[in-house]
Amino acid sequence: MTNHECTCGENPLVPQICNVIKITDETPDTKTFRVQTLDGKKPFDPMPGQLGMFSLIGVGEGMFSVTAKGEDYLDFAIKRCGMLTDALHEMSVGQQVGVRGAYGNTFPVEACKGKDMLFIGGGIGLAPVRSFIRYAFENREDYGKIDILYGARSAKDLVFKEDLYTNWPAMKDTKVHITVDCDDEELACHVGFVPAYLEELAFKPDNRMVVLCGPPIMIKFCLDSLTKMGFSNDQVITTLEMRMKCGIGKCGRCNIGSKYICLDGPVFTMAELEGLPQEF
Amino acid sequence: MSDMQAKLRETAKKLLESGEVGYIIGWGKGRTNKTSPVFVKEPAKVDELVWNEYCLNTLAKYTMDNMYPEKKIGLCVRGCDSRAVNRLIQDNQLKRENVYLIGLPCEGKKDPVTGEMVKKCIECMHHNPLEADVMVGEPVQEKGYPDRFKDVEAMEALSADERYEFWAKQYDKCIRCYACRNVCPACNCRECYVDQYRVGWQGKQNNRAENQVYGLTRAYHIGDRCIECGECERVCPVGLPLMKLNRKLLKDANELFGEYEAGMNTEVKPPLGTYKLDDHEEYM
Amino acid sequence: MKLAKNKLQQAFDLMAKEANLLVPMKIEGVTKFAPWGAEGELAMDAVNTLLPPKDALFPQTEKMYKYKTRLTQVESLEEIKETDKQIIFGIRSCDIHSIDCMDEVFLTRGYVDSFYSRKKENLTTVAIGCTKVLPTCFCDSMGLNPVAAPTADVQLNDLGDYYAVKAQTEKGEALVNLLKPLLEEGDGEAAALECTLKVNMDGVQKKLMNVKMFESDIWQETAQKCIGCGTCTYVCPTCYCFDIEGKECGNEGYKFRCWDSCMFSEYTRMAGGHNPRPSKKERVRNRFLHKLAYFEDRYGKGSLCVGCGRCVADCPVDLDITMFIDKVGALKEAGSND
Repeated sequence: MTNHECTCGENPLVPQICNVIKITDETPDTKTFRVQTLDGKKPFDPMPGQLGMFSLIGVGEGMFSVTAKGEDYLDFAIKRCGMLTDALHEMSVGQQVGVRGAYGNTFPVEACKGKDMLFIGGGIGLAPVRSFIRYAFENREDYGKIDILYGARSAKDLVFKEDLYTNWPAMKDTKVHITVDCDDEELACHVGFVPAYLEELAFKPDNRMVVLCGPPIMIKFCLDSLTKMGFSNDQVITTLEMRMKCGIGKCGRCNIGSKYICLDGPVFTMAELEGLPQEF
Repeated sequence: MSDMQAKLRETAKKLLESGEVGYIIGWGKGRTNKTSPVFVKEPAKVDELVWNEYCLNTLAKYTMDNMYPEKKIGLCVRGCDSRAVNRLIQDNQLKRENVYLIGLPCEGKKDPVTGEMVKKCIECMHHNPLEADVMVGEPVQEKGYPDRFKDVEAMEALSADERYEFWAKQYDKCIRCYACRNVCPACNCRECYVDQYRVGWQGKQNNRAENQVYGLTRAYHIGDRCIECGECERVCPVGLPLMKLNRKLLKDANELFGEYEAGMNTEVKPPLGTYKLDDHEEYM
Repeated sequence: MKLAKNKLQQAFDLMAKEANLLVPMKIEGVTKFAPWGAEGELAMDAVNTLLPPKDALFPQTEKMYKYKTRLTQVESLEEIKETDKQIIFGIRSCDIHSIDCMDEVFLTRGYVDSFYSRKKENLTTVAIGCTKVLPTCFCDSMGLNPVAAPTADVQLNDLGDYYAVKAQTEKGEALVNLLKPLLEEGDGEAAALECTLKVNMDGVQKKLMNVKMFESDIWQETAQKCIGCGTCTYVCPTCYCFDIEGKECGNEGYKFRCWDSCMFSEYTRMAGGHNPRPSKKERVRNRFLHKLAYFEDRYGKGSLCVGCGRCVADCPVDLDITMFIDKVGALKEAGSND
């Protein structure tokens, strides 16, 4: 019997207790929670794209992508959309939560080396992408030009504003393109849907990988646009989500065909998804 | 019986050919003696319909899978099915104009394994359909069921402790498959309270307490609306005597609000769904 | 070795001293594996118990850890470890194979499920060869043998007045050793037995794995009569899907896992309300594909249907997986509608 390979302690289904050490308001319905173990470490060491099970003891557990990792902390950006996330949004700094992980596969950070990168995020979909963006900046020499295209419903729904407006544009060979669906505030950015803006920006497919996360409808139309622009399916990487309970490929519910999103995903290339039943 | 089957197929064929109905819900053959619900769309396939002594399932609830049909749904109805139709109409889950009722008088059905008449049919009070657009076969003699509340009376004669022990043993067996709920024409809530997991009315643990919460809540939800088709008891894989519970509530409703049978028509409202000035309200 | 049938009770007493002994019992009309000594009658002749033995390893409700909180702080969190020894006596070939299948799920592919593995380490299985089959039995079509379960710790075979006893593993040898005072020298071969219900799995898995099959009309036709209850999944010895929920009382509580069913709408419904499997068509499709195709594709250990026939016998609407297998087998090619 081989033991499990994660960093979460003896039993992969039992969480570690962590302190919430910082809470950042991103948008009216999204907050970023920074967590740290009781002895001041990060609960586990995820690679970009991996997931963590975040629980409010006594309320419930939910699977979220790890938005960022620091030396001694992990960040989870969480949008309010259900019973658990409602309760999470009521937390204050100092609250203790349960965290277990890291689960799932990772963005293909190695295979993307030497390539230009186009990161596309819609809404809270920027949360998983951000882990890869940060990784690319930490290893800036390994990657070519970086373009980040981000869209949200309105200016107030833009997440990670400091990164979008200050940190990322300052990086070498990096451009950040921001668009909002409707122009409801005075903000100097493009107005329109992500797929249309994507075509307008006319990226060349040569030696470029695309990381695409967002609402299903945006993914669908972005894919059409990318295909029109000459990108092939193995150049486009995305993440899937399903309801999850265990995170370790046992409880059954997050399967797409014979793959489990919590274990074999959440990261898939569009070419891989073509071989799977269209049930997501 | 085979005469009726031939007539049923003939009727079904005509209805499908004329376009009067879009499809017909009836019974078809299983691998063994069992029959199984079938959905016949093409006139050429009416031979899939069977009518024999093993046609056990009630069918009316399948209309809820198609609440806005393009054409009428042809629905085979016995006494129990026609009461289920009334139940669904009264609960606003079915429009009468959306179904074409093919009436089949029924003398009771047998268990395909034991060959004996099933309990729900022994207890049947209405062998003939209460309503039909076309009748297949001649009406049969109604026998009634004078012992309707006999089981309940026996239960009432026990002490509270004895009753608790009886039901505790029963609900210890429950596996919470919800077959009783899903087959029940009175259990037609768009979303069952059990599935409202965010609210957490119903714990998911399988233990005596949670199982009893489920059993009692369901019994009360259908308390005055149960049409006594006995399907819940028939489908229960662990054999809970659910009709004892349902009939207890029906007996109380009868005693408190006057003689009442659910699903007999669409006019008389369930006693707990209406209010009269002279209603019993000693619990207030 | 052999065990005279009139010494069976003595054997039970001996085993019950060493471990929690589960034997086929009929309790309040339900046959299942229950502790020897429970109120009810021994049901050695129940070919297949109504309820599968899976809850010995994977209880319908299993506490995982308990905790205490104080305001925003977690005071304690303690894993619940069950390490009682268990013996299942009288389990059939189909159910033994169901344990092999669950082992793949819970013990392999990167993570070991500690709750399951602790129970598995402490479990000894005593299989008994069938001497008759039910009309719904089809284990030999799924590659099993009703009179021999090679992965059981001990194999018994009914030879009239006695059982032939054969240890097949180290755990099995220990158990046979324990029973030694009751055993006699001797041996005997079980008569071969064949199921009467036959299905042909040839090519079925391959057809089902074809992506074209996913959009076939067969699913709507098959699922139409399903009422969406959990009977098939709860009587199935290999349905292992579970949910994790908590129960809290004041400032303490526990987290538990419990059987869940892919037939329920709530199973895949996400926090925002989206449900990737919104109707019975998608749910039945997922269940049958899981049983007949996905499991083989993922674990390479054959089908997740072991042919015990419980779902065939108990489905309220006779949605019969063997008839579905026949239907797929008869398709000219994957994805065609006839």
